[in-house]
Amino acid sequence: MSQEETLLINFKNVTKTYGSVVALDDVSFGVKKGEFVFITGPSGAGKTTILKLILGEIIPTKGEVRVDNLNIINLNDKNLPSYRQKIGVIFQDFKVLPDRTVFENVAVALAVVGLPESEWEERAKHILKLVGLGRQANLFPSQLSGGELQRVSLARALSINPKIILADEPTGNLDWKTSDSLMELLEKINKEGKTIIMATHNMEIVGKYKKRVIHLNGAKITEADKEK
Amino acid sequence: MFNIHFRTAWSYIRRSPFQALAVSFVLTLTFFVATIVSVLVYSSSRMLSYFETRPQVIAFLKSDAEEGDIADLQQRLQANPNIKDVKYVSKEEALLIYQEATSDNPLLGQLVSPSIFPASLEFSVTDLSFAQSTIDTVRQEAIVDSVGFTAALGGEASLDDVIGRLKTVTNYVRIGGITFVGLLVVTSLVILLVITGMRVVGRREEVEILNLIGATKGFIRSPLVIEASIYTLSGVVLGWAIAFIAVLYLAPSVVMYFGEIPILPKDAIGLFKLFGIILGIEVFAGAILALSGSLLTISRVKKVR
Repeated sequence: MSQEETLLINFKNVTKTYGSVVALDDVSFGVKKGEFVFITGPSGAGKTTILKLILGEIIPTKGEVRVDNLNIINLNDKNLPSYRQKIGVIFQDFKVLPDRTVFENVAVALAVVGLPESEWEERAKHILKLVGLGRQANLFPSQLSGGELQRVSLARALSINPKIILADEPTGNLDWKTSDSLMELLEKINKEGKTIIMATHNMEIVGKYKKRVIHLNGAKITEADKEK
Repeated sequence: MFNIHFRTAWSYIRRSPFQALAVSFVLTLTFFVATIVSVLVYSSSRMLSYFETRPQVIAFLKSDAEEGDIADLQQRLQANPNIKDVKYVSKEEALLIYQEATSDNPLLGQLVSPSIFPASLEFSVTDLSFAQSTIDTVRQEAIVDSVGFTAALGGEASLDDVIGRLKTVTNYVRIGGITFVGLLVVTSLVILLVITGMRVVGRREEVEILNLIGATKGFIRSPLVIEASIYTLSGVVLGWAIAFIAVLYLAPSVVMYFGEIPILPKDAIGLFKLFGIILGIEVFAGAILALSGSLLTISRVKKVR
């Protein structure tokens, strides 16, 4: 088996432009199954663009993005949903459904992947307990703190048992203590074999957790495969 | 799985009750009018059919007509596909009919003998449009003295006038009713589009999140389709029920007014059957309306990739 074939995520000479703005310029890297990778860099460096490409939200202008041996350019309306169901996403702005309870936010994700309704409660309760939201299950997002909302986002991402977890600045809106506890959770999940790609510009976190770093600047990778 | 979509749809309705009321009210009005128009179309068709199928033409026979010739003509009339219910009325039977008609004054019946009444062949035509040509043909028969018709409404001078008036009335009911219902259906569709459009705008963030976590189009659309279906189904049931109650209330006086003309089914089962068919058609039309309204709105949501 070649090295390329063992990669879960493979970017080959990827360029992405938005009109005249170059978001990624000839970027190449690979991520193996079970890796925890930080994507760092200043605002506008292309961190979110990488995550969007992996999620199939956008397609590359040039080059090739393969995820689990699937070229994302081949994703269409039919297979895009099932592809995304393999990926858990944690957003900086949480993106929780505001008019649904914590439990329902997780249940929606379970409904999306087609899990029978009879299994929702057990699975959701287990995940919520895991992220420390066991007692907040029936609360609405407006009744939660920023850290708790991010945990809801994490619980939703984990509930579908994804192959890959994408985290876009998950600590961006959190204080240090809450960020640390979220990172501990992510590390625990990574140890269970999940591949995690986390975009962040929080260098303190990057420094504390010794993981592989892909550093972007000006739409290019400037420092890759750095194990801190 | 249906439960989660139904709960979502129900929560949209509960969160904006006035929008829900507005769309339900318009749909109720639409289906109420549609039910009434359907009954009117049915009744006018029955009325036309009644006049088309009752014995209309009487061929009065010459007094010297031979029985063999009469039987021959009767057979030829029965063989004509445009003619039905051919009946021979002898002079004696004609007298009996006259005596029955004048039973309140028996003296009139006693003063006449069968010989003054001509024998006749009575028949009806399958469609009134054949009547005039049939009369003209029968009139030329050697044993026929004269031909008359009984379908006279409002003192029309000729059969063409009778046909013309009935068909005009029926067409007015059909075209006018269908146009009015059509306008209401379009209004309902527009209101449904506005309401579901508002939902889509209100759900933009939710749709975006669902898209990102891998929800299929069907999953995202389902609550909107269910919501539109709830509106149309409630409109169908309410509009139909109000019309049904109104018809049940008015039926005795309407039936009495029209006498022997069967504009409504005579028995309860027939009436229930008629309204059952109307309900079935309206539920089908409502489903089409709900689907087209909600899917049209969703299709307008811009897809970005």
